Amino acid sequence: MRPRLDALLRTTTFRLALVQAGVVLAFVVVMLIYVYFSTVGQLIRDSDALADQEYATLERAYAEGGMRRLNQEVVERAARQGPFLYVLAESDGAIVTGDFQQLPAAPRETPERVDFSFERVDETGSPVRGRASGRVGRLINGPILLVARDLGDSAVIAGRITRVLWTVAIVGLIVSLVSGLLAATQAARRAEALSTTAREVMSGDLSRRAPVRGAGDEFDELAQSMNDMLDRLEQLMHTTRTAGDAIAHDLRSPLTRFRQKLEAALEQAPNSDADREALRKALDEADLLFNMFAAVLKLSRVETASNWTFHRVDVTGILRELLEFYEPVAEEQGLGFLGEVQDNLVLQGDQGLFTQAVSNLVENALKYTPSGGKVEVRAVRRPDSRIEITVLDSGPGVPVADRDRIMERFVRLESARSTAGVGLGLSLVAAVARLHKGGLHLRDGLDNGEGKGLAAALVLPVTTP
Amino acid sequence: MRVLLVEDDLDMAASLKASLTADSHDVDHAGDGETGEQMALDGGYDVIVLDRMLPKKQGVSIVRDLRGKGVSTPVLILSALHDEDHRIEGLNAGANDYLGKPFSTRELLARVRALWHGRDAGPQTRLQVSGLEMDLLARTVKRDGKKLDLQPREFRLLEYLMRNAGQTVTRKMLLENVWDYHFDPQTNVIDVHISRLRSKIDRDFGQTLLHTVRGSGYRLGG
Repeated sequence: MRPRLDALLRTTTFRLALVQAGVVLAFVVVMLIYVYFSTVGQLIRDSDALADQEYATLERAYAEGGMRRLNQEVVERAARQGPFLYVLAESDGAIVTGDFQQLPAAPRETPERVDFSFERVDETGSPVRGRASGRVGRLINGPILLVARDLGDSAVIAGRITRVLWTVAIVGLIVSLVSGLLAATQAARRAEALSTTAREVMSGDLSRRAPVRGAGDEFDELAQSMNDMLDRLEQLMHTTRTAGDAIAHDLRSPLTRFRQKLEAALEQAPNSDADREALRKALDEADLLFNMFAAVLKLSRVETASNWTFHRVDVTGILRELLEFYEPVAEEQGLGFLGEVQDNLVLQGDQGLFTQAVSNLVENALKYTPSGGKVEVRAVRRPDSRIEITVLDSGPGVPVADRDRIMERFVRLESARSTAGVGLGLSLVAAVARLHKGGLHLRDGLDNGEGKGLAAALVLPVTTP
Repeated sequence: MRVLLVEDDLDMAASLKASLTADSHDVDHAGDGETGEQMALDGGYDVIVLDRMLPKKQGVSIVRDLRGKGVSTPVLILSALHDEDHRIEGLNAGANDYLGKPFSTRELLARVRALWHGRDAGPQTRLQVSGLEMDLLARTVKRDGKKLDLQPREFRLLEYLMRNAGQTVTRKMLLENVWDYHFDPQTNVIDVHISRLRSKIDRDFGQTLLHTVRGSGYRLGG
């Protein structure tokens, strides 16, 4: 699951989804600020306007009757228990009268405005926290007057509105993230379907096509283009293959005739031994040519054909028979020959190709290992449940730099020039491995006294998906 | 013996006919599938050599129809397509042997003879070649009354050689019939198996039974 999540996080669509979530969040925040100011802000502004009127009335009373009149007014009004709260203080800040024993601090930037919470007693007598806002100011000759308005129910409403706005913001964020994620998953799944098709085609199954859902979206368009391309490719491959079969047919008959004529000439006993020898060599060369021709055609078929039907292959049985088959050759060449094959190794594949692939590896080992050396064949089921067949030898080995190269067609190392062969054996093994969705790996083999021989490991999955 | 050769390549057919005639067979030739099938139905042949790709009717269809009509003459299919699946298709249709082009003339001659030789070999329980006796039920082998100790695969190798006693069998035939392998080994593995078998059946006895036929293969017989 983890790798899929990582892959999802890397997709373009997922990044777009994140950007979308960011934009939605920014929009919600702006909305929230706007709604806040046009509701809660308005309530406070209305309340402040009333507090300002009350302040102005008291200011007028001070102008008409001085401190005594003002004091009287404040005491009377405070006693009415109206929505207003009052504090009157001397110029040095000492409280003269009012609802509080000290002045709430006014914010520095707007020195005349106050907004504070306080404790008051409700109708039932229990204390409640209230919120008030209003105006504080210094009158002529210094006394300080505060008039604030208890926001009361307005504060409760404002609190509710604020909570609703927060809820909306959080829900909006979650919804945009989830929808983005869903869109990304959907897109990732469809992109995955396309690349699965591409992989299947690469592994030789040219008949595979990408699914088109008929939604007419850009993925459908992409899948359709890909399918059109594959149709064209398959058609070309088909043409090439049928041409190949025809060429094979057309060439094999003349090659057979050519061989027959050489044989006939040899039968008719030419005059000199030299002639016979030349004819015999020509026949050997012709046979080499036929073998190369057959090997190339077979390799091409393994690499391009899509119509292999796989059956149950008894790996253990086949390997033990091959070991028995080649054991006398090893003995004759003075080689130690050891086989360690686990029981019950079975895979889905092509028995003929599998047998030939392992046979090629064993023959290579027998061919290149000098007398007195060792050849070992091991077959195990690995922890990842793949089957690994390793043929190890104590021959001259292959330099690490050349190991990939010798699996290519017709590549033979300088050191192998003296032995018979056309350089297609390992190519065929590698092609058979690919056909079975496995691989051929070349590693260090057995100790040969001066260094390491070669180990060729054929790793094949038990079933091919 | 009488051989029917169905081959559309006239040059090839002439050359094959010459080789088969030289090997003392009577050869009739048909140039297309329909003529070939009709000639085969008229009968009288010991072996039919059939090209796979023919004008008018393909080799595999001809075998299938011949077998459907009760003709049991041994059939050897020659084919440029000798992949495993093509070979199996040919054998399933009722062919007795399948040889891929290009092939050596000796290979073809050996196989034609083996087909004819093995045509009426019903279920046997004992095989005998000179002083060599094989009991297929008890799975024992004796030479001049002396019991020989053979490995299971050596037993099968000898059994095949004895069933084709007096005939040349090629390495390819041994590979296909004794081991069921359909590839060309790059080592002399068949020769090594033969020399092992030879050391068991011939070494302690005066007369050599298992002969090497130069350039072709092996032959068992006095």
